[in-house]
Amino acid sequence: MKFNIIPGDIPLPLPTGGLEFMEPVFHALLVVSWVIHILFINVLLGASFASVYFNKRGVNEKNPVFDKVAYLLTTPVTISENMGALWGVAPLLLVSILITPLFYSASIMNSPHWLHIIYGNIVAFLLSYLYKYTWHTLHARKSLHILIGTIAVAMFFTLPLAFMSTVQLAMTPSTWTYHTHFWDILLRSDTFFRLVHFYLASFAVTGVFMLVYGMYKRRSDDPEIVEAGKVLTRTGKSWFLVPTVINLFIGPLVLFSFPDYGIEAFFNHGFHWLIVLTVLVVVYAGYQLLKDFFNDDLPASKVWSVVAVMFIAVVSMATLRHGMRMGLISPVLAASKAKTEAFQKESLLAFEAAQKAQSEAPVVTQPAGMALAEKHGCLACHNAEVKVVGPAYKDVAQKHYSATQIVQLVHQPKPENWPGYMPMPPMPQVPPADIAQIADWINSLK
Amino acid sequence: MFDYPIFEMPLLGHRFLFAFDAILHVFISHGAAVGGSIILMLSQWLAIRNNDRKLDELSYKILFTFFILATAVGALTGIGIWIHINIINPAAIGALLRVFFWKWFIEWIVFNVEMIFLLWWFLSWKSAPLGTPAKAKNFKLGMTYAIASWFTMAIITAILGFMMTPGNWLKSYFPAEPDYLAALFNPSWIPSLGFRTFWSIAWASAMAMLLSWLFTRNDTELRQKAMRLYGTVLLACIPLFCLFGAWYYDQFPQAAKDLFWMGAITRRLAAHPEYATYLMVGLSSMVLAGAVSLYAKPKRTPLVMAVIMLFGSMGLIGEFERVREFVRKPYIIYDYMYANGVRVADVPYLNKDGYLKHAAFVPPEFRSVTPDNKLMAGKYLYQMQCRYCHTVNGINAIRTRIQGMDEQSIFIRIGALNSPATPFMPPFTGTEEERHALAAYLDYIRVNKVESEDDLVKSSAPVYAH
Repeated sequence: MKFNIIPGDIPLPLPTGGLEFMEPVFHALLVVSWVIHILFINVLLGASFASVYFNKRGVNEKNPVFDKVAYLLTTPVTISENMGALWGVAPLLLVSILITPLFYSASIMNSPHWLHIIYGNIVAFLLSYLYKYTWHTLHARKSLHILIGTIAVAMFFTLPLAFMSTVQLAMTPSTWTYHTHFWDILLRSDTFFRLVHFYLASFAVTGVFMLVYGMYKRRSDDPEIVEAGKVLTRTGKSWFLVPTVINLFIGPLVLFSFPDYGIEAFFNHGFHWLIVLTVLVVVYAGYQLLKDFFNDDLPASKVWSVVAVMFIAVVSMATLRHGMRMGLISPVLAASKAKTEAFQKESLLAFEAAQKAQSEAPVVTQPAGMALAEKHGCLACHNAEVKVVGPAYKDVAQKHYSATQIVQLVHQPKPENWPGYMPMPPMPQVPPADIAQIADWINSLK
Repeated sequence: MFDYPIFEMPLLGHRFLFAFDAILHVFISHGAAVGGSIILMLSQWLAIRNNDRKLDELSYKILFTFFILATAVGALTGIGIWIHINIINPAAIGALLRVFFWKWFIEWIVFNVEMIFLLWWFLSWKSAPLGTPAKAKNFKLGMTYAIASWFTMAIITAILGFMMTPGNWLKSYFPAEPDYLAALFNPSWIPSLGFRTFWSIAWASAMAMLLSWLFTRNDTELRQKAMRLYGTVLLACIPLFCLFGAWYYDQFPQAAKDLFWMGAITRRLAAHPEYATYLMVGLSSMVLAGAVSLYAKPKRTPLVMAVIMLFGSMGLIGEFERVREFVRKPYIIYDYMYANGVRVADVPYLNKDGYLKHAAFVPPEFRSVTPDNKLMAGKYLYQMQCRYCHTVNGINAIRTRIQGMDEQSIFIRIGALNSPATPFMPPFTGTEEERHALAAYLDYIRVNKVESEDDLVKSSAPVYAH
């Protein structure tokens, strides 16, 4: 595979502490922390959507139980939005050292849109708090309340667009051009199918979450909460089943939209067996739920067995995704590392040569004033003989300034003396004694 | 930096974009989280000790505000600093992450503790009424949150300190090998941590005083109690952070101290360092006037005094962060990396071999300068070396900096950027031809108000297609 663009690496060692096994540990940490982050985000999207949905349904059907369900769902929203952001930091940290050049390059190509994951998130966050904490105050104005909730949910749903296009770009360096831009990536088939898969998975994960949440609520002493728990259990089953079945068809579309060499590496490393495992456990979980589809009092043992089985599915999918990622980017990472090492080798030679040249430079004797003018940076803009940025010192000498006047003019220049020139910045840091010597030198230039 | 793609932020520029996020983060993380957790812990403790229901309720209302701010804005803008620097200066954040990875990782674990205990403290406050054993447990949650949030600040402060005063952190330059402990215990870490700790508490007290004013409209007795409490904390912190501030300033490199007054105002007013003094005295008196009058006459001081105090504090905080960022120039990591992402030690090689030659994201036909591609090559150089601080037309516009010059004088000027005339600027890095190309491009934008693609690429240079 040929890559047009090989970014450079950071010329500092990986923080492994010299322990070789640390690099695989970093990879394992990345897989685990990333999947936890994604699970929180799944629940955030699903639960915030569900809360607004049940809120609306409660109004339409005048059923207080739905309102209760909607309100109960705001707690997991608060927790998952906070924990989701928090658990996004660990993968960011690990990605930044493991695949530094690819991740940074992708986020720059996707900017400023990439910043949406911050600013869009803040707006969504504030709106979702507003939705939650005005629940009772806006009870009489439900349409306004539902509108706030809807905007918050819509905002949350836009965040994966920025996120997915960046991770997808980072893992497909073979597609990079000198003009790659956010919209090119967002509208690509691989990004599109991954997004579809992700949004559907969010509902499925939220479905599993509802099974657990509903189970706890069914144990309450308050009959209304028990009723709400039953609604959660019922909804959880269908929210899990329907998107999961669709995703069995979307999954292959995702896999085969990756670049060929990545798919090859994926199969060569045997990651397809993880797909088989995932499908098997997902089908098992679906079968378990279908058996009890009309039973709202789903027993705890069944809920936990579905959770356990789905945990295996999620870890397996996270691992195979990491396999695809590394298959796609390993060649570029290696090339990037080699390129940086070669650069550093050459740079060392030039650095040493420059140091040597400096220590061997012949000492030039020059007038004291001129030396001071150089030291204080005057010669950046002035030359003795010719106009540079400022007037030639020969021309300044024509004005017959006294040393005191020159001290003043250096500390507080008067641009009106030299129309047509760029105004000189005041240089109050130059000591008057030094300026006096520089003035002597200038006035000697007649 | 040449290893990465180019991100442009027209008009506002990178500095503004970054400063917007970063200063928002500082206001909230220092006020609502670090300082806020400490003062609310204190007022909750007093409420428990005196069985003071009203103070307990007031503390909860302040916590509610701080909770919303800290979680929705503070935490996200904190991650935002990272996301911004990713796209603005990847070389710098990449280096910092490699040196500080484990500290950052520990910081993240503590950040977990901080977030979980904040949620727990806040969400269980109401279910733990005064006088019950649950209240004592709730207080401990707050205490854990306060310690954790201070600890996260302690680590981040080490990284900020490192950027200005890295100390003897490099065991060797080629290949670069960091001394991780020396980087952590850099000279300005402890003083800057003390400085930030005390002004965070003071700033949080100022926020709490404003909020207390709003939450005690019908209860001036409670207002008096709150103002005395938070006012005492605020006034007591001032001498402490001044003391640490002086120690912190003492650790600055001499070159940074020399830039202090210029950083405190703008370069345009560098001839009038006294303006910076007026500004700081003005802002400080806003804070003091508000704090003292709210403290002395809590029942009669109007809301406007609290607002003045708040704006004064925000001004001082913004001013401090600006100065800290400015005096570090021309470096982003002192003596190691220039603000534009070029490593100091790589300059001789890049000057000899060419900067564009190594630019991975510049199309190959612009990697060596020819008479035909000169303007476009110059534009790439501008984008990779200058746009960290300059925009073409907007904030700190390059165009106004070169008025009255011609191509030749621009060429001479950019050969001496890092001179005492502009000691805060990194040197131009690249070959003589590249310097000519940059001068040509700058002269082109000086003359032409609008850049035209046709002029830049000229007829003979191939337009890159993918």
